[in-house]
Amino acid sequence: MIKKDAVAPSSAGSAATSREGALLHEIEKIEKEAGAKAIAVALRDNETGFELHYNADRWFHAASTIKVPILLGVFAAIDRGELLPHSRVHIRNRFLSVVENIPFRVESVRDANSAVHNAIGKMMRVDELAYHMITTSSNLATNLLLGVIGPESVTETLKELHVDEGIKLKRGVEDELAFEKGISNMVTANGLLRILVMLSEGKAFSPALSRRMMDIMHGQEFNQGIPARLPKGARVAHKTGEISTVAHDAGVVYLPKRKPYSLVILTEWDQNATGRSRTIATISHAIYETLTQSPTKDG
Amino acid sequence: MTTARLVAEKMGESPNFPLRVVDGLTLPPEYRKALMPGEDWKDSNGVSHQLPRYFYEVPSWDSAMKIELASHFLLWEFIQVDVREAPPLRTFPRYVPCAITLLAVCLERFREAVGTLVHISANGGYRSPSHRFSKNATPHAWGTAANIYRIGDTYLDNRNAIERFSLIARETLPGIWTRPYGAPSGYAEDHLHLDLGYVLSVPRDVKS
Repeated sequence: MIKKDAVAPSSAGSAATSREGALLHEIEKIEKEAGAKAIAVALRDNETGFELHYNADRWFHAASTIKVPILLGVFAAIDRGELLPHSRVHIRNRFLSVVENIPFRVESVRDANSAVHNAIGKMMRVDELAYHMITTSSNLATNLLLGVIGPESVTETLKELHVDEGIKLKRGVEDELAFEKGISNMVTANGLLRILVMLSEGKAFSPALSRRMMDIMHGQEFNQGIPARLPKGARVAHKTGEISTVAHDAGVVYLPKRKPYSLVILTEWDQNATGRSRTIATISHAIYETLTQSPTKDG
Repeated sequence: MTTARLVAEKMGESPNFPLRVVDGLTLPPEYRKALMPGEDWKDSNGVSHQLPRYFYEVPSWDSAMKIELASHFLLWEFIQVDVREAPPLRTFPRYVPCAITLLAVCLERFREAVGTLVHISANGGYRSPSHRFSKNATPHAWGTAANIYRIGDTYLDNRNAIERFSLIARETLPGIWTRPYGAPSGYAEDHLHLDLGYVLSVPRDVKS
């Protein structure tokens, strides 16, 4: 029996319903075999309109997937003319916790990106920081950009674009004091999916700005999740997120000769669990197989 | 030192300084609004200080990259500001208080004392009273303060480095003020802040 939440209706009729059922069973099987505490999946195929929502309104710690809404906030400031892509930002590693404004730093050993740390004291461009924030998940770049635009402006942007449901931005990243107090950024699979669909359809501010954001996400360097088991011709614009108890991937998959599909896979684990990226890759592969099968084979 | 400077000094003249002095009160409204020339501004203790009225006009980044304020300090190092500076002051011509030359001389002496490169951080030289960092009066808006984030290969991001170079600054530059190490407001933990106070410089040839 499928224990998860409602599946959105599909225009593809009974064949799609059959596909949904099979896919939901497959995901449930993968979840059990992997030993994950929780898995959520949200999918929308631009080619067929097919949707799938598995546990998709469950809240998860966002980890670095919160950088996608922050990217949206940065481009909102660009769209409003408050920032230019080449506007310069002072690189300074000092931030204030949301807990009593206590200063903290982003430890360079906990940041995959050294380019931003190497520029401390100098300046980098907004578009460079946005690139590092997404492609190598630079925490320093993230907090610097958030410092320029302000978390409240990101929340406001999400509301204006009607994609605020399923996203809670409460602070910057690496704010350990806030984490200890249970103040964390949270997302649902459906929340992130709404943003990705908007981006993939070119509806975030303008087609040109949407494309620029997608270009940045295409530069992602951590590819052990959604893209790992896709065929060579697949291109994925995505953002991963990982802390000790969660591993996520959210992106748009471009395949030859068809429209893209948007996919969010959120997973929660015990601290010492292994095979987290492999599980995401397995789910991604199952979805790829289902979407690229001829509908007649499903029946 | 350049040949032109040596010749000028031999003749007992001031070396030729290429920047035009501008009375801030004569600038267009958007600049006056951002620079607040001659206006009073309160510090964090509620004490008023008069802001600079006279500025050097910097025509281009190219010129800022070439103009020496001291043997080892070029003008550009003092005017690096980021997106938090008021928009009119992020494009050229830029305006910098005339006291900036005094700061440069002090930093040159400091550099001699430490014997290596002294790096001023972005937003760490002159920044206007309209800069988003400028909540209360700060000597940065007088052009008389510098935030130094690195000396030679040493990053000033810890107590030991900041206090060591702070001591050298105070011993080398009589009357200099350095921000103590620490996290609260009024302290610094990721740079060495030094300043000459709220110094106003009025060049001899100004006509007001």
